[in-house]
Amino acid sequence: MTFRRFLIKRIVIAFLLTLVSVSIIFVTLRALPGTPFSSLVASGGLSGEQVAELEAQYGLNEPIYVQYVKYIQSLLTLNFGYSIAESRPVSAIIYPRLLNTLVLLVPALITTAIVSSIAGLYAGWNRGSAFEQGSIVVTTFFRSTPVFVTGIFLLVIFAYQLGIFPAFGMRSPLDNPQGAIETYFAVDFAKHYFLPFVATVLYYSGDFLLLARNSVIERKGSAFLTLHRAKGLTEREQLARAGRNSMLPLVTYFALRMGMLFQGVITLEVVFAWPGIGRTLVQAINQQDYPTVQAAVFIMALAVIVMNLLADVMYAKIDPTVEEGDL
Amino acid sequence: MSTLNMDTDTAKDRLGDLWKRSRRTALFVLEDNAAKLGVAILAAFTFLGIFGPELAPYEPIEHTMRTEDGGIMRMSEPNDAAPLGTTTYGKDVLSQFLEGARPTFIVGFFGGIGTGIIGFLVGLVSGYFGGRVDEALMRLTDLTFSLPFLPMALLVLTFVTPSIALITAVIVAFFWKMPARVIRSEVLTVKERTFVKSARASGAGHFRTMFLHVAPNVLGIGFLYTAYAVAWAIAGQASLAFLGFGDPTTTSWGRMLRQVFASGGMREAWWWVFPPAIGIAAVTTAVFLVGRAFEEVVNPELRGDE
Repeated sequence: MTFRRFLIKRIVIAFLLTLVSVSIIFVTLRALPGTPFSSLVASGGLSGEQVAELEAQYGLNEPIYVQYVKYIQSLLTLNFGYSIAESRPVSAIIYPRLLNTLVLLVPALITTAIVSSIAGLYAGWNRGSAFEQGSIVVTTFFRSTPVFVTGIFLLVIFAYQLGIFPAFGMRSPLDNPQGAIETYFAVDFAKHYFLPFVATVLYYSGDFLLLARNSVIERKGSAFLTLHRAKGLTEREQLARAGRNSMLPLVTYFALRMGMLFQGVITLEVVFAWPGIGRTLVQAINQQDYPTVQAAVFIMALAVIVMNLLADVMYAKIDPTVEEGDL
Repeated sequence: MSTLNMDTDTAKDRLGDLWKRSRRTALFVLEDNAAKLGVAILAAFTFLGIFGPELAPYEPIEHTMRTEDGGIMRMSEPNDAAPLGTTTYGKDVLSQFLEGARPTFIVGFFGGIGTGIIGFLVGLVSGYFGGRVDEALMRLTDLTFSLPFLPMALLVLTFVTPSIALITAVIVAFFWKMPARVIRSEVLTVKERTFVKSARASGAGHFRTMFLHVAPNVLGIGFLYTAYAVAWAIAGQASLAFLGFGDPTTTSWGRMLRQVFASGGMREAWWWVFPPAIGIAAVTTAVFLVGRAFEEVVNPELRGDE
């Protein structure tokens, strides 16, 4: 199979996967009993006719296949409809939250990828050292503990007991910054940013550390390193060359992690009350706000599919020993 | 199942061999100090999971702790009557912790084993037969990979009342894909080896070849991922409970964290936060410590130049 054919096949599969996933999301949501408005009748806020009128307004009274076609159409144009709970366009709610999540996670992931990979290379090179043993146990702890539990530990110790950092949200309640620069480049923001950032960095550190370590260990006996040693390169120079050859699993793993980022942080955002997409999803589910739920889950699923595609393609492109047909 | 018939001696021999091999592996794993610690924690957790509720000094939800003058003992620091303090509602934290071990254990145990078995079978069949079967099963795995666990599980749990069995089922439904992929790629290499081909050539059926010749060689990885799945199941259940989608009728560690978080008790009541948080962290970490030591044994490339 040529690379082009492989690429086309992968893209088609990714597209079909997206279609099936959004259909599953649609069916799941429609299978829920009642509509977002039925609770309003029960509480006496609205009469039956008013609810019917509202449902017509949101297109909920149309046949299910019409709703489905409209739903797919609107997703293709990235138009997520109107939020039922907040009566404004879902995109106006989702995009700022998405940005908040990315602002938290992307720097955290990049930091941990760089720092832990270097630590891992070093640990693998010095096999059996105290540093290797210690770093593995510590990162195993943070990697296997659910991220919200780590968050709770940080919160209780540094925010509530020691009072060093604020515990809640993204900025102080009285702050009202205008524009992106004032929002994201402020001391107050940095203070709120610190704990969730640290929790994310710690959570993802273990995987990168172990991958880098194993990768170096596997290469340690290789002939090319013996050659470098014979040439008289210092330990550090040898490690740099072994490290360069260990990049492949790290790079693909980074792509995969980026894709799964959103789903991993739902609980983290709830713990720190970070106004991101995960917390929005939980709130929308509790309010039965279908359009917002659909949009949030769609974005999360899409992220995974796109990043998986990217990882596969990168893997096939970088590693000459991988046959495209194997993937 | 006639293809699986074999005489008792061969069966005994095979089992004995398997037993010897696993014993040797276990001894290897236990040479690692971190793994020893992990095994100890897991043993303690299993004990708590089985006997915890019987050890609880009070009924964790019904019983309200009283101070000497008869008032409700709210948010009290650890004292003689309540060694781990009390909650906002005047309940004994120690009793809740002991009671909460059981649902955590049940979901972890059955969720992990279910994930392991389904993932193992899918991976085995997919890798062994290849071709269309493989294509179909792997696209199914891709699909479950693209449906994110937490959001989808939250959706499912909004319209059915969560129960322990249901949560376990949801966890298995979302996690089997991980072992499946790894087992498949292992099977792909094993099935090309000579002994598998000679088994086929000497007339063994697909079923027999798959389970008697291929499966034993990927069993180690299967166990490893079953162990990891236990940790994932516990983490998954705790996350669901923390977000308020746990079984509302039982006390689990995740639900304790939910209550201390939602009631704002976290601000001061560290004694209420730490027991369930440390419990969850210790158990999931223990699984990975043992798993990693095991990985070190089954992955020969990691033995390196020792």
